[in-house]
Amino acid sequence: MEELRKLAKELLENKTVAAVLGYVEIEPKRTKPIVITNPEDAEKLVFNEYCLNNLAVYLTKARIKNLAKQNGSVLKLGIVAKPCDIHAIIALIQESQLKREDVYIIGMNCGGVAKDFGLEYGADTLASKCVPCETHKPLYSDTTLGAEKETPKVSDEVLDKIRALEKMTYVERFAYFKKEFDKCIKCYACRAACPLCYCQRCITDKTIPRWIESSPHSRGNFSWNVVRAFHLSGRCIGCGECERACPMDIPLSLLNRRMTETAKEAFAYVSGRSLETPTLVGSFDVKDSDELFM
Amino acid sequence: MKIGVFICHCGENIGRTVDCPRVAKACEWLPGVEVSLDYKYMCSDPGQNMIKDEIKKKKLDAIVVGSCSPHMHEKTFRKAAVDAGINPFLVEIANLREHCSWVHDDIDSATDKAIDLVRMAIEKVKRNQPLTTIEVPVTKRTLVIGGGIAGIQAALDVANAGYEVVLVEKEPSIGGHMSQLSETFPTLDCSQCILTPRMVEVYQHPRIKLMTYSEVEKVEGFIGNFNVTIRKKARHIDEDKCTGCGLCITKCPTKKKAFNSFEENLAYRPAVYVPFPQAVPNIPVIDETVCMYYKNGKCGMCVKVCGREAINFDQKDTLVTEEIGAIIVATGYKLYKIDKKPDDSPIKGYGEYGYGKYKDVVDGLQFERIASASGPTSGEFKRPSDGKEPKKVVFIQCVGSRDESKGFSYCSKICCMYTAKHAMLYKHKVHDGEAYVFYMDIRSGGKMYDEFVRRAIEEDGVKYIRGRVSKISEKDGKYIVKGEDTIAGMPVEIDADMVVLATAMIAQQDASELAQTIGIPYDKYGFYNEAHPKLRPIESTTGGVFLAGACQSPKDIPESVAMASAAAAKALVLFGSDKLEREPVVAYVNESLCAGCFYCKKVCPYGAVEVKELKDRNGVVYKEVAYVNTGLCQGCGTCTATCPSKSVELAGFNNEEIFAQIAAL
Repeated sequence: MEELRKLAKELLENKTVAAVLGYVEIEPKRTKPIVITNPEDAEKLVFNEYCLNNLAVYLTKARIKNLAKQNGSVLKLGIVAKPCDIHAIIALIQESQLKREDVYIIGMNCGGVAKDFGLEYGADTLASKCVPCETHKPLYSDTTLGAEKETPKVSDEVLDKIRALEKMTYVERFAYFKKEFDKCIKCYACRAACPLCYCQRCITDKTIPRWIESSPHSRGNFSWNVVRAFHLSGRCIGCGECERACPMDIPLSLLNRRMTETAKEAFAYVSGRSLETPTLVGSFDVKDSDELFM
Repeated sequence: MKIGVFICHCGENIGRTVDCPRVAKACEWLPGVEVSLDYKYMCSDPGQNMIKDEIKKKKLDAIVVGSCSPHMHEKTFRKAAVDAGINPFLVEIANLREHCSWVHDDIDSATDKAIDLVRMAIEKVKRNQPLTTIEVPVTKRTLVIGGGIAGIQAALDVANAGYEVVLVEKEPSIGGHMSQLSETFPTLDCSQCILTPRMVEVYQHPRIKLMTYSEVEKVEGFIGNFNVTIRKKARHIDEDKCTGCGLCITKCPTKKKAFNSFEENLAYRPAVYVPFPQAVPNIPVIDETVCMYYKNGKCGMCVKVCGREAINFDQKDTLVTEEIGAIIVATGYKLYKIDKKPDDSPIKGYGEYGYGKYKDVVDGLQFERIASASGPTSGEFKRPSDGKEPKKVVFIQCVGSRDESKGFSYCSKICCMYTAKHAMLYKHKVHDGEAYVFYMDIRSGGKMYDEFVRRAIEEDGVKYIRGRVSKISEKDGKYIVKGEDTIAGMPVEIDADMVVLATAMIAQQDASELAQTIGIPYDKYGFYNEAHPKLRPIESTTGGVFLAGACQSPKDIPESVAMASAAAAKALVLFGSDKLEREPVVAYVNESLCAGCFYCKKVCPYGAVEVKELKDRNGVVYKEVAYVNTGLCQGCGTCTATCPSKSVELAGFNNEEIFAQIAAL
């Protein structure tokens, strides 16, 4: 924790970065994002199992981007990032939303985070995205901090719950999601929390023509959630922020994870893992499997 | 907005199944429709005049024509609209023929559907924007792929008209299959004698750039503006230094290492070779797979004897790019081969004929080489197994063709003629020999063709037996051909010395790969598809790509040459103007909504999407967005489908227009 504060202070003082995006503790077992521009405030920074937010989502926001512009020159933005958050940063770089030199990544070694604030962190309260996680060390960073950690072993019961969807037939799955999507109130919190939902105007906000019924009606709910899943297929990095943001507890990451698995099985591709691998959408190889379409 | 609706009966084509007056009547009262009429032939002069008159009389802003496919008459109706003062892109076609009358029987429901189709078109045309055509420059150079007789003819015609040609041939020499033939039907003139002057003409032509032993690797761009990458395979011989003296060939110690494919594997060739003595260019090639140098780094005999220091073992393949305006594909055919190991062959069947097993069962091209004065037997009829003169030869037609169960269902077209020729050539040289032909029908349509076959039968005494052969077996150096004479209704058995199979002409092995490289469609056999079977037999459906010769379907020499000249004429039509008018159906970007993810740039097959910097009033870049180069965009719509925020749309087919069309249903 001390080294994080020291580094942030240094970076701000020597003008390497214009701001540091990080976490601040507001009560035990609960943190919130903070944007620090004053070196004095670096003292507030924390990093623990309750740093749930994926801060990469802020990197594409105009207000944050503008912080970097100071007196005609453009400084970097510092970001405290878990390895999975870094996947989002990689994806953003690959999708031209960010340049590598625009960010200073303070990569944190990570052993997983809690499912929600206020819960006692442990194997049973581990966030579902952390269960299959393979990257406990940042793949890309400017500085890596913290001790290397292992994720607690999860009981079979929890695993079964996560994999329940895979055992369903597609008719059951369809019915399951139809029921889940019926709960949607179209608050678009999923979109707001998603680091890869950076479109200037989302397709659901378009009125000429109106692609997606905007009222919280089952028909529009279904199109919205399925369109969003399609727009994320092969792109979703699996941070699970959409699901965490959802006030109606729709298990959105189940859908996204399934799409990610499909992309992995068919094309051996997982989004946000390498700056060198071309993005799945937009790259074509004659050797690509066409089983998905036939 | 005032819209005119015009419903065409297309004679009986639409009128038979669609109640056209009812369609016109139903559309009369739709919002925006000022006038709705039907007529027997809307594409006729009176029909077009009716459209023009109504546009002027009723001051129409847009028209909808319910007729045949826009492929057929969109141009016609657009022209009529332009004549009457309407932008051509305010014309919509509702396809009432291909999409409705031709595919339905029930008049009532077909008419209902026709009304729906017209209503959809009305809703679209209401939202259509007037567009202006785009002009693009034309590169007046032609690429001819394939140096057989079709490619040679096409190249010469284009070059003689004053335009540059790049002729690419994958073999070391041009000439193609025609150079392998002994004599040609129906005049029996020597194939080489009429072909080689053309080959030399190509070689010496100042406007033809000949690239042999080369293959087309990549084709980018579009009509008038192709960018073609050609792989020049390493010959291992410096083309500029080699004089074609042939010393390396005579001194090469690997005399019998490889089958001579020009001689249809009836002879051998050394590692360094020219396919045949009259090869153009007369520059040998070193075959890496058999050359001793590449095996163990030794030998180098050719280097020692070459006085010009032309041998270069380290030569590598080179890639050459050419700017091209028109492409003529003349890649020809290959012969249906029954592989020696039928298990490995993609083509199954005819194991009972023993091809590959019995040395004296040969195919048509092998027989050409045996009959040819320049062939392995110097033109004397000797059978491959023991070199004896065959006294009884059986010819079997339709091997692999017209036979769906074992080969292909199409007719290979030239086999009736060349079998008659083969039998005739044999009888001319072996006077006491007997020639039998097993046939299904004799298809000898063509100038002097049937006379030729009659001559074989009547003057040269070739015995024609109508029927199929069931089996060929070997017995005491003879081949027992068992078949049936279906006219006499009797089984036939002939103890032949040699059997010739008239195997089918099939598409080149890599035909589909090349088609994908160029971007042209092909049929289930691998033959390239013409744009229209009757009216556009030379054009492929891809603009600026034309077809010549047997790559399109089985063809004989005169047909291939005629098609080649026609393809050349098509290329010259393209070069007739400096600018090419293109439809303005291109993508455009909504810059204020574009998030700049550039997935459109990644997926664009034409490289038409670029990065554009948006600057504020102080000249500071505040955003990067996608920008479509309309000169390169082909309007395929891949970007519009990819864009997650629908910030890129296709002019003439934008989301609003298509949505309105769907909503009208």
